[in-house]
Order: sequence, then C-alpha cells, then structure tokens
Amino acid sequence: MSNTNNPYLPEMATVREIIQETHNIKTFRVTLNNEARMKAFSFEPGQVGQLSIFGVGESTFVINSSPTRMDYLQFSVMQAGEVTSRLHELQVGDQIGVRAPLGNWFPYDKMKGKDVVIVGGGIGMAPLRTLLLFMLDNRDDYGKITVIYGARSPQDLTYSYEFDEWRAARDVNLVLTVDAEAPDWEHKVGLIPNILLEENPASENTVAVTCGPPIMIKFTLEALKKLGFTDENIYTTLEKRMKCGVGLCGRCNIGTSYVCVDGPVYSFAQLSKLPNEL
Amino acid sequence: MAKYLKNDDLGQWLAELGTEYKIHAPVQEGRSIAFRPLTQDKILRIDRHATIGPKEILFPACEELMHFSYEKDTDNPGREKIRVQPADNAVPTLIFGSRPCDARGFDVFDGAFTQCAVKDNYYAARREQAVVVSIACTRTENTCFCNWVGGSPDGTNGSDVLLTPIQDGFVVQPVTEKGETLLQKGSLLTGAAPDQVREAEQLRAAACASLPEAPDFKCMPEQLYNLFDNMDFWEKQSAKCISCGACTYLCPTCHCFNITDERNGNEGERLRSWDNCMSRQFTQEASGHNPRPEKAYRLKNRVGHKFCYFPDLHEGHIACVGCGRCIKSCPVSLDIRQVVTSAKECHLPAEETDNE
Amino acid sequence: MMLDQLKETIKTALPELDFVMGWTTGYDPLHATPLYMYEPDDVDQLIWGPLNVHNLAVHLPALRHKKVGIVVKGCDSRSVVELLQENLIDRENVVIFGAPCNGVVDMTKIRKAVPDAHFARSVETADNSLTITTDKDTHTLSLAEVMADKCTRCRFPNAVEADHFVGEKRIPAVETDPYADLESFESQGFAERRDFWMAEMDRCIRCYACRNACPLCVCRDHCVAQSREPHWVSQRDGVRDKFMFQVIHAIHMAGRCTECGECERACPMDIPVLLLKRKLGNVIHDLFDYDAGLDAEARPPLLAFKLEEDSIKEKDW
Repeated sequence: MSNTNNPYLPEMATVREIIQETHNIKTFRVTLNNEARMKAFSFEPGQVGQLSIFGVGESTFVINSSPTRMDYLQFSVMQAGEVTSRLHELQVGDQIGVRAPLGNWFPYDKMKGKDVVIVGGGIGMAPLRTLLLFMLDNRDDYGKITVIYGARSPQDLTYSYEFDEWRAARDVNLVLTVDAEAPDWEHKVGLIPNILLEENPASENTVAVTCGPPIMIKFTLEALKKLGFTDENIYTTLEKRMKCGVGLCGRCNIGTSYVCVDGPVYSFAQLSKLPNEL
Repeated sequence: MAKYLKNDDLGQWLAELGTEYKIHAPVQEGRSIAFRPLTQDKILRIDRHATIGPKEILFPACEELMHFSYEKDTDNPGREKIRVQPADNAVPTLIFGSRPCDARGFDVFDGAFTQCAVKDNYYAARREQAVVVSIACTRTENTCFCNWVGGSPDGTNGSDVLLTPIQDGFVVQPVTEKGETLLQKGSLLTGAAPDQVREAEQLRAAACASLPEAPDFKCMPEQLYNLFDNMDFWEKQSAKCISCGACTYLCPTCHCFNITDERNGNEGERLRSWDNCMSRQFTQEASGHNPRPEKAYRLKNRVGHKFCYFPDLHEGHIACVGCGRCIKSCPVSLDIRQVVTSAKECHLPAEETDNE
Repeated sequence: MMLDQLKETIKTALPELDFVMGWTTGYDPLHATPLYMYEPDDVDQLIWGPLNVHNLAVHLPALRHKKVGIVVKGCDSRSVVELLQENLIDRENVVIFGAPCNGVVDMTKIRKAVPDAHFARSVETADNSLTITTDKDTHTLSLAEVMADKCTRCRFPNAVEADHFVGEKRIPAVETDPYADLESFESQGFAERRDFWMAEMDRCIRCYACRNACPLCVCRDHCVAQSREPHWVSQRDGVRDKFMFQVIHAIHMAGRCTECGECERACPMDIPVLLLKRKLGNVIHDLFDYDAGLDAEARPPLLAFKLEEDSIKEKDW
C-alpha cells in the first residue's frame, strides 16, 4: 500500500512514455516522483492500481508491466469515460496520482512446473501481458506457454510491437486471431473460443488464464471445459466499477468477496462458490 | 455506579461539556429532527426518534478527503506541479441523544471501516475522538424492531454512556471507560438512589417487552444465498420501490460511498460522499455492463449485504439495527422486515425437490 | 360497497393483465402502501380512502413492455394522461380504474396534530374524519384538518381518464386553483424568501426521493444531479448545489407538472419542494392558459414551438 495511514492518498508520478496501441487504447509508462519509493516499489503480477487526474477522478487499471522489469509502471487505458478520456490527453512529463498496488494476483507459484494457456481478448490482454512477461523472465519455472490473443481487427491488437519478443522465447506458441478477414492478415480468422478449440492445447498439468469481454469469457470457459480443464485450473481477472480500491466503498462485491481486495484474480472454482452476479 | 441528572440540569450539564467537546444533538429543524451542533438557538428534541440519526457526525454526507492545487513548475515553465494536501478535521465530539439503535450503527461502522485489511483513517480519527451518550427508549414505535436484529431498547453497544429517562430526570450509566471519564466531569451529576435505578430498570424492561417477538434470523445468510437466483421473488419484493436513496441515507449502518473530484480553476477537492446501492450508477461499468441492472438486483444486494454478506464476514452480526427509518421514511412504505421474513419463509424449489 | 364494486371490476379485468396496481394497508394501520395484484386473492387486500397517498403512475413508464392496470385518484389520473401526452406509455397497455376521491391525508399534518402517530394501534376512517388510537389514547381529527393541501384545491376528484369508473362522481371542491399559498409566500420580501429556501434546503440529504417519486421525471438514471458530463451540480456539501438541483427539476417540470405533490410527500426530510413547482405551474397557467395532464391529445406548451403565442405579445414590446 502506498500510504499506510491514508489509503486514499495517491503518490505523485510522472508520465515517462506514451504508446498509442490502437485507435482507443493508450499505454502509459510512469514512475513515482519519489525516487526512493520507486526503487522500493514492489508488486505481484495481476495487481492493479488507481490512476488519478486531480479534478477529474480516479480509475482502476492493471499494472501491466512485469515486476521483473521495474524501470517504470505501465498501464494500458481504453478510452471509455471521463477519467480515461482525460488520461488520453496526457503528455509525456505530465503529473498524475497513483495508488498501487491493490488487489490480489495470479497464482504464479502454483503454476510453476506446469504448462500455461493464456487466452486474451482485446484490452483483456493487458493483465495477461504482465503474467506472460513475468513467466518469460522466469522461463525455467514454467512449461510450454500457449498464448491465444484475439481482437476485432488487426488494428485492435495491443502490444503488437512485442509479438516478436514473445515468439522468440523458448517454447512459446503465439496464436493471433481477428474476427474477420483483413488485408495483409496472415494469422487466424475466427472467434477466440473456436481458435482455442482448434489449437487443442492439452489440459493435463496445465493452467489456463483468460481475460476479455464477458461474452468471450463465457464461451472461452465452455471451450476450456471441452478441452478437459477443470474449474480449479482456470483463472480469470475481473473488471468491476471501483471507487476506493481498498474494500471500503461497497460497490464491487460479489456476495462477501470484494473484487478490489479479494480479486481481481479468481479461479472459476472460487467464482462458482460466489453468488452469480458478474 | 449509576448517577442521576435532573431534567432541569440537562442544559447546564451539556453546556459544561461543551467547553471540551463539540456537542451534536437532535434538534428541531423545519418539520424534521436532525443531529446538529448544539447552539443556543436550537431546540433540543429528545422526546422522540430523530428523522435522521447521528451517522453523519462520524461519516459526513460529504467530506473533503484531500485538497489539491495546480501551479506552474518554476523549474520547468511548460509543466504544472500538483500539490495535494489530505484533510484532517477530527475534533473531540460528544454525540448526545442517540438511541441505542443509532449507537449500534457505529458498531457496524467500526466493523466495516476499522476491523478490516485497510482502515478508513478519516472515520477512525473521528470515532476515536467521539463520546456517544445515548438515551434508552422507554416507548417503541411501530417501525421499531431492534430486538429482531440483536439489539434492544436499552442496548449499550456503540455507546459510552446510557441515559434512562425517569420521572424528572435521567439515570446515567457509564458503559465504557470513555464514559466513566466523562461522568467524572462537572458537578451536576449525583449518585442515583436505589428507587431511581429500579424505576429505570422497570421502564427499560417494559420497553423491551413491548416489542413484537423476534423471528430467528440465523438461517438468513444461507436462505438468501439460496434465493439469489430467484429473480421472480426479488422482482415482486422490489416492485413498489422507486429506487431513491432515502432508505440508505437514513440507515445508521449503510456506509457505501462515492469519491468524486471537484475543481474550480487551479484549486479543487477530492470528495467522499454518501452513495447508495439502490441507484443504477452505483455499479454501472464503463463498458456499459451493469451487474445489477434493475431495482430487483439492487434490493437483493441491499438486503443481502445486511442480512447475509456482512454477517458472514463479521461473526454473524447483522448490519441492520432495526431503527425502522427505512420503513418510516420510505416514500412507498417498503418494509424491510416484510422482505426478510418473506425471504425466510419462501419455499425454495430446491427444497421441494429434496422432499420428493 | 364502492370498494367491493372496484374489487369485482379489477378481478374481471385481471386475466387480461400482468397485474393491477392499487393500495393496501402497510406497516401500520395509518400507512398504506402500494399493492401489486397478480392473482384474484391479492385483490381482496385492496383498500380505498384517505390513506392512499401514493401516485402509482410513477411506475408506468418502466412497465411499458407489460400490460398493467392502475387504480387512480383524480390527481393520479392526470399524471397518467400527461405520460400519454408525452408518449412515455402506451394507451393500449394500460387499463385505468378510477373512483371518486374524497381527498387524502398529509402525514406531516397528522404527525403535527398527533405527535404520537407512530404509535398508532388502529385507525378508523369516516367520510369526514379520521380516528387514530395509539398505545396511550384516541384522537379524532376532521379530514379537512389533516388533508393534503392539494386536496383542498382539487378540481378533479374523479379520474380525468378511466377505462372503468366505479362509484358516483364527486363535485370538485373548487373551480379554479386560487394559488393562495403561493401568493402568501410571495408577499414576503426577497431576503425572507431566500432565507426560507436556504434553511429548508440545508437539510436535504440528496436521496432524490423527490425526483424518483415524480411520475414525470424522465431522465432518471441520467440525471444532472449525478452526471459528470455535463457537470452542472457538484457533489460539494452545501445548500447551493442542493437548491440548484431543485431549480433544474422544477424548470424541467414546467408545463408538465400536474402538482400531484409526490416530490414533497416523498421527501424524508419534509422539505416543501412542491412550492417551486407551484410557482412555475402558475406562470404556465397564466402564459399559456394550460393545465397539464387533462387531455391526452394536447401538446404541453413547452414541448412545442409556436411562432406566435396567444398570450406572449413579443411584437408589442
């Protein structure tokens, strides 16, 4: 937690780099202004942070850089509301507030020694990228890594400048797909769950991690089950409307579970025990 | 050791305490009774339940969390610097004239805001500096049901001192150390005579006996989980609800809030204000998706939070104190007692299958 | 007798409807509550009389996809008509049950007359009186004494539009609204009026019961009260923003408001917000010779544009 006395108080940070990922997604690389705090900053893959524009408000985003690469903290922001629109107006050097890290993380310890299937849709690739880079930086701990990443069109794929790095890593199979045929597109065409079935990854000793729009998750879950994955071995990371980010403001609960502190990462075994209110 | 305070001395006693504490008490305001800083021009109203309880003293309807200002960065004129100053405005406060149900609300707040992974420092600071002097109820209204949810008209949870109104005055009893200390101050309290203590006991017992018999709500968490997907039930329960926030804002235990920024030129504040789970925006996501899209889902969450989730997280404590304000002030007289008892008595399809 | 007839009429119509909205006894004998009649048995719980304070028309727009019945007082029927005028509900999907109304009570007046009203054990209603027995004593009040102000100036005690009207039509109390309340308020100076509103609005808790109880408040989930874009009302604590919302609400209601008074009745803090709408209603009445919610075919004056208004003589200026 950034400030043990006042959980609402953000730390000041500076925008160092901005990457235009797609027409409506920008990635921000920021560093905390307090150098000592930046040096001491630690987090786990999958944890989130609140970005503040003072005078506009706060919004929650996953820290989508890996804790193994601490030159900056990275956040990918899709323009959707008031805060995200103002974030999109930021320039390099601008000041923002950061409250991080918040929430839980991917069970990367439990995943050690196993194969991993990552299934991401659209901006849902952001948290999965953190996990992927973390595993690439601890490559010996994990088996075969299959990444299935889809978006509406080739222009909607984020992190495309990194695909070569992902592919070049040992035993990584990167499968890209888009919803419809497009000029110069040399990869798959089709919905993510169908491509997943087509790839047919083995479920034995394998953990699947998925993130994307609710409808994609629903069908991806069905496809994973068809492939033999159990609820215990499928993880997702949820998005909910959040304000405080520390389990106090009361809106992101699913029954007794507060997505901002008990989540955002859940196994489907955990979710199946909670009330059906996604 | 019980003490006694004459009715005629109440004003003087409060005036003496007022030198040390900021005193909030129920006063007449227009056609309502609300807790306000007690000043000469205010009319104290402790003869009946206040329209709105004292929760806003420890959890204001709107408070500044921090102040921020934008200024030119002199080292780098092309840039702006932002200065952020967190607010700190807790002062020694005496809450006078809360009812046992109101004070029990602070117990729920303590659970929600201080007995959790991350503490709410703003609430905690005010709570620490507050002394709660409650008045036992000697007469119960039609909407009172404190005994259904673990309280009683003379309950002491959340209070530091409990007053019982008797003939011509009050029997004054400390509940906590804070209360003991408070009662050592001033010259107006005398030792209560045994017959005064007896009179207070009798009045309190009579009030307890006047409440309708309490149903057993131990089964409610499980029952509410079972009813979760029964939307027909929740649609019927919520049909007359108009989705306003009167029930939540008047509730001594409701503590959900919003955080918003306001900016005027180069200055502004980050505010925390009461929010309410009965409004659609409460869970509306930026993508357009809403996990609680209709009032039926939202009433289910409100009842679920009080009678299921909070008890599950806090050793069975129900997050309702039975003050009845949500019933009394509801524009459509929606009765939470009736919703919960209907839920309790609702025969679930699953049970029927089990019996077959 | 009238009530029995009403129940029978509803039972006959019920098979064709998803449900019918009416009233029944609520949490205590003094407080009625809306009743949703799904089955014939539910109809037996229906009550009619001075405790049926709620205007059930507020629920109609959200029920547009259903076929529902609604029991109305005269004032409620005007809200239904205004909803029809604004195409917010469909005539063929609403069945209106009307009955003559003798006026409803104002709970604030009752609480003033009987401070122990929340200890009521039983309530007897007669044609012109109300007898409340509490745990301690019995009070008989004349209905005139505790009647809602809107009823004392009621021009439409019978439904202005109904598919089924039960009972004998009543003669209205008055022919025109004298706006005496408004006149007396406006006879005060500016400072007094300002101080009045600042004091009253100060205790607003921003629950927006006034807005949500209003049958014609149509923005609902997209209200300026909470909207960030536009950002007209801030969340800052203070009477300025609270009053700002009331003014916006009142102006949105001008020429549409039927003065049913639900905004004021719903207010848990008892703030007299109807007065603002009365002022605008009065202005609209004078300017356009128009009353909202009387004719389903009529166009509310501020929802239409006319090059020349009959009573606005711009050319003469």
